[in-house]
Amino acid sequence: MLSQSGRDAATAASTAACPAAGAAYQRMFDCRCLTVAAARVSKRYAERHTGRRLASQPCRVREPRQRNRTGSDNLRPPAAFTALAHRRATPMRPLDWFVLTASLVFIVAYGLWRGRHSDTVNKYLLAGRTMPWYAMALSIMATQASAITFISTTGQAYADGMRFVQFYFGLPVAMVLLSMTAVPMFHRAGVYTAYEYLEQRFDAKTRALVSTIFLISRGLGVSIALYAPAIVLSVIFGWPDRVTTVIMGVLVMTYTIAGGIQAVTWTDFQQMLIMFAGLCTALFFTLWMLPPEVSLQGALTVAGAAGRLNPVVWSTNLNDPYNVLNGLFGGMFLALAYFGTDQSQVQRYLTGRSIAQSRLGLLFNGAAKVPVQFLILFTGAMVFVFYVWQPPPVLFDAAKLNALRGRQDFAAIEQRYHAAFEDRRQAATDLVERRDQPSRERFRQAHQRFEAVRSQATTLAGARDTNYIFLEFVTNYLPAGVVGLIMAAIFAAAMSTISAEVNSLATVSVIDIYKRHIRTQASDRHYLNASRLATLFWGVYAIVTAQYGSNLGSLIEAVNRIGSLFYGSMLGVFVLAFFFPRATAAGAFIGVLAGQAVVFSAARFTSIAFLWYNVLGCAVVMGVALAVSALRRPERRPPASR
Amino acid sequence: MSKGRRPGVADEPPPLLGRWPRLYAAVLAWLAVLIALFYLFTRTYNR
Repeated sequence: MLSQSGRDAATAASTAACPAAGAAYQRMFDCRCLTVAAARVSKRYAERHTGRRLASQPCRVREPRQRNRTGSDNLRPPAAFTALAHRRATPMRPLDWFVLTASLVFIVAYGLWRGRHSDTVNKYLLAGRTMPWYAMALSIMATQASAITFISTTGQAYADGMRFVQFYFGLPVAMVLLSMTAVPMFHRAGVYTAYEYLEQRFDAKTRALVSTIFLISRGLGVSIALYAPAIVLSVIFGWPDRVTTVIMGVLVMTYTIAGGIQAVTWTDFQQMLIMFAGLCTALFFTLWMLPPEVSLQGALTVAGAAGRLNPVVWSTNLNDPYNVLNGLFGGMFLALAYFGTDQSQVQRYLTGRSIAQSRLGLLFNGAAKVPVQFLILFTGAMVFVFYVWQPPPVLFDAAKLNALRGRQDFAAIEQRYHAAFEDRRQAATDLVERRDQPSRERFRQAHQRFEAVRSQATTLAGARDTNYIFLEFVTNYLPAGVVGLIMAAIFAAAMSTISAEVNSLATVSVIDIYKRHIRTQASDRHYLNASRLATLFWGVYAIVTAQYGSNLGSLIEAVNRIGSLFYGSMLGVFVLAFFFPRATAAGAFIGVLAGQAVVFSAARFTSIAFLWYNVLGCAVVMGVALAVSALRRPERRPPASR
Repeated sequence: MSKGRRPGVADEPPPLLGRWPRLYAAVLAWLAVLIALFYLFTRTYNR
């Protein structure tokens, strides 16, 4: 914060340059109700208008103070500078609404325009195989980066540190392996879906079994992908999750049904750019709003002392999902399964105009994914540092917080929470000033006490509030326009994922089930209409099942846990198809069933990390399939169904 | 509806580094550099 001479100079200079700013600046000090962030804004504003550098020095704000909703001391600056200073009553202001609405209208209109020529099944489901690599690359990234990535991953970094990034260490390896194998094989097979290839290699029942597994697993995933942005709307409007889920679902369905994959891919491209802009802006403002006495180095020291800067954990503990070993091997298997067997991703690179274009799309994703994920987690870690000095609510889920208000036991927790916060803040300030081991140890102990009290509150609430942390921060502390941009980024992420998943579910339903088993001979127009109807069906399904999203804890972890239950078996059968010519159809079919049985048993009866389900499922499928294939006579494969 | 098998689909060289194996190696080398940097980051701050 500013020294007295600096304040005087700033006031005088800013008054000369802009009377309103100068007056507001003076008023802040006159009232002595200034937050550090507001002071920083004012100082920079004055400097910008005068061209003079103003002196500053660390100091503490003492009075006056007002009680915020957590009940702890908080500071209330003048209205002119509230944007960066404290919680707001209305998170979305007119400029935010303008940015958000303009972004959504642009995305939907752009998607409709891009998809206006999707008048055949080939164009509707595969974009006529005309996509360039950069469109596929960003579409692949956008499909994977859902709203959960913004909401839950940042919350995960706040609560658990950055070790989640290791989950993606296996992804680049998987991209290389898939570029070498699956991409040329799928392209040359000329298939619409990955599972169509299984019938060419094995038989119709194996194709049907794996298609069904995909429909179940992705059907569960799309519900969560829809529920996450509904939380955003719920926080902004204060409406129940159920209402916002329906609104979000209808919005996305309208655009997805009309556009087809051509619209989905090109809007993904735009959405990824919006997401990146939102992410960079959020990180910038998070750092900018730290108290002036807290430099970047100081912020890193505090985050590190609290165990939040841990992107690499060397451990061989198989029960811990986030360490280098599990990330490289478990993560590689999960990525192989997701990008190699999940139609929502396979369909992205089947739209490529050549093998080379599809490979480049995957490899770009492999190179960019880990740094992008690091950036998202780092933002979450910096939000944690922000809340070391700014009082966080006892619970980030406002609805749960309000429900507990008035209870005696909760009031007692709140009192201890405020005391623990003050203790931690003081310890953090000392740590930033001294940066020695005793102050680091004192901060760590204060942080543990604070966490213990917060844990009592979340236990009392009966649900984790990780998914609300980033939203609480964005909607209460970021300036007008930026809130709208980040909301647009969250919506863009959600729309890209939901549209791609619904599109892939519809593709598998029509190509692998309806056309293969129900209506085998019909016109192209008939299957095009069936694809649109199937898209509608899966949209309604997602809306209905998303109602149960609040019971899943951290959404990002829930998505990966569900995926891991099924991906191992799917990966195993594709490995057999690609690399084991001796594997028979009967072996593959029995192997998949055995793989699912073992993975479900492991999930039910053991505590191994979910990333290893992929390895386990894949190994069981291969082992059983090869054993059955060796025991039984080779079969004659039926002619491939088209 | 389906165009069926497309065995004649050409396998073009990549626009960078001339051959696909070199591009694959570059992606894996980039991953190794990232892990090393993250390790240093962890050791520096997470004490």
